[in-house]
Amino acid sequence: MIRETMTPQQRVQAAIDLRVPDRVPVLPLQTHFFACRYKGLDGYEMVRDVERARQAHIEVFYELGGFDGQVIPGISYIFPRTLPGIVREPLFKIPGIDLPRDSIIQHDEREILQPEDYDLIADLGWKAFAEKYYNKFNPRTAPEILAWGERQTAKYIEDGEVWTERGVPVYQGGEIYSPLMFFSMFRTLQQFTLDLYRRPDRVEAAMDAIVDDFIQYGIEQVSLTSYPWVMLVLERGGSFYYPLKIFERFEWPYMKKMTEAWVKVGITPLLHFDQDWTLNLPYFKELPKGCICEFDSATDIFKAKEILGGKQCIMGDVRASLLTHGTPDEVVEYCNRLIDVVGKGGGFILSSGCYVPVDAKFENVKAMIDCAKTHAPVG
Amino acid sequence: MSELVDAIVSLKEEEALEIVRYRLEAGEEPMSLVEEARGGITIVGERFQSKEYFLSELIMSGEIFKQVMSLIEPKLTGDIRTETIGNIVLGTVKGDIHNIGKDIVASLLRIAGFEVFDLGTDVAPQTFVEKLLETGAPILGMSALVTPSFESMKDTVKAIEEEGIRDKIKVIIGGGMVIKQIKDYVGADAFTRDAAEGVAICKEFIEVTQK
Repeated sequence: MIRETMTPQQRVQAAIDLRVPDRVPVLPLQTHFFACRYKGLDGYEMVRDVERARQAHIEVFYELGGFDGQVIPGISYIFPRTLPGIVREPLFKIPGIDLPRDSIIQHDEREILQPEDYDLIADLGWKAFAEKYYNKFNPRTAPEILAWGERQTAKYIEDGEVWTERGVPVYQGGEIYSPLMFFSMFRTLQQFTLDLYRRPDRVEAAMDAIVDDFIQYGIEQVSLTSYPWVMLVLERGGSFYYPLKIFERFEWPYMKKMTEAWVKVGITPLLHFDQDWTLNLPYFKELPKGCICEFDSATDIFKAKEILGGKQCIMGDVRASLLTHGTPDEVVEYCNRLIDVVGKGGGFILSSGCYVPVDAKFENVKAMIDCAKTHAPVG
Repeated sequence: MSELVDAIVSLKEEEALEIVRYRLEAGEEPMSLVEEARGGITIVGERFQSKEYFLSELIMSGEIFKQVMSLIEPKLTGDIRTETIGNIVLGTVKGDIHNIGKDIVASLLRIAGFEVFDLGTDVAPQTFVEKLLETGAPILGMSALVTPSFESMKDTVKAIEEEGIRDKIKVIIGGGMVIKQIKDYVGADAFTRDAAEGVAICKEFIEVTQK
């Protein structure tokens, strides 16, 4: 065991500030589903049986020996208290309701917005558009949607308190999609991609019209708790999907504007990079200091260290399938390499690549956590 | 490179459609336009495989091809099918609704000359088996993104075994999370996280099965 001289918050903050912590911090991302499955809850119970799910989550945290805090305290969302602040959240398919009872929550990606909506959003602004057309996103009445948002927020705050009253820090207070991610999810990848070629100016005008509201939602979410991070959800704008000329016009300016605005008010942006962003890495040198670049194993995290080392905090990236079907020895081997290479000189948080999968092996998750506690970067 | 091929490769949708309309009106043989358009998307596919083009270019060129074909098809009198290099049954497995990776592979396989029987997403093991029997395809491609779906891949391989056709079918699995351990767990013959590599493996499978 490495002798610890910092609190979990100090350790994590040291990594964000690109300093060398007492040991590499470890923050498995979203352990709720994994913990619930491990304790025998099915997909429906994980989502609907709040008390049993919370209990499972807590027990598993301690059985794992604890780690440096919960990025996300449970599975609910925190929302600003307005209709436009709520309906921007993509819909999910729920186990036991829309899916078989023992499956997992999955995004329901459908063509909810139409091409003409770009113009409406650009002309009206996001708030007026959402106030008028909220039923495009959600069939319920406005009071029902607002009440649902209130319940989600209250549950999020309760989930957070469950941890903080035990001395376990919670980090994430908000979650926002980049404009590109938002339109891609509500138009579908296929249609949105065609829009980028067929009506690029209209897409850009709509993005310009929503970005300030989305920045503000992040600030409002964080103000509802004391948790200082906002996750900026990114997947669709990277080099897996698009050439750099598309990224440069439709993703990068907004990503930069959002992170700069949040850092300015003391928020830590957690840039959640799903899929492969390797070709985009050089741009991220220009992000404001104080961000976390979190990768899911598709981006080359070692290349990220070469390019972003000393400039941005890097987080990741133990592949989900290694946690589910690898052995503890294989997990240890990979984590040690991450700590040695990406952790060298500080600025690194060890984590799962994206969420800890529901069917991860307990011993593999524990092996990842123990690595951070026992293995110091070489040199 | 003809004007039509160039318009498809440079993703100029209106220009491509204008050329096709003009040449059809001028009385040109529709089948030669089909061949040219196929030549265009073949170049896009090659550029995607060599990492020069991205997914967006594959999607856009596929859409242009579709539009071009919708102009040409009413003028065609005969059968437009051409020789294929082999059949493949493809789908995202039960419990998983992610389609992006599967769709990329389906596009590239078609460009490479395969007849693709795409069963969509959330496909049950027995549905795969029935399609394999119906088409006589020697290759099964299964896709999944979320880790619990690996069980469905395993179940599907088991269903093929129980049907007594496992030795006639080559099984390849794909998806962002697939690693060698998953291939072994599922009992597949190959795995890939890269669409272009997946197509190359399928071509090798066809060569082996045709020997």
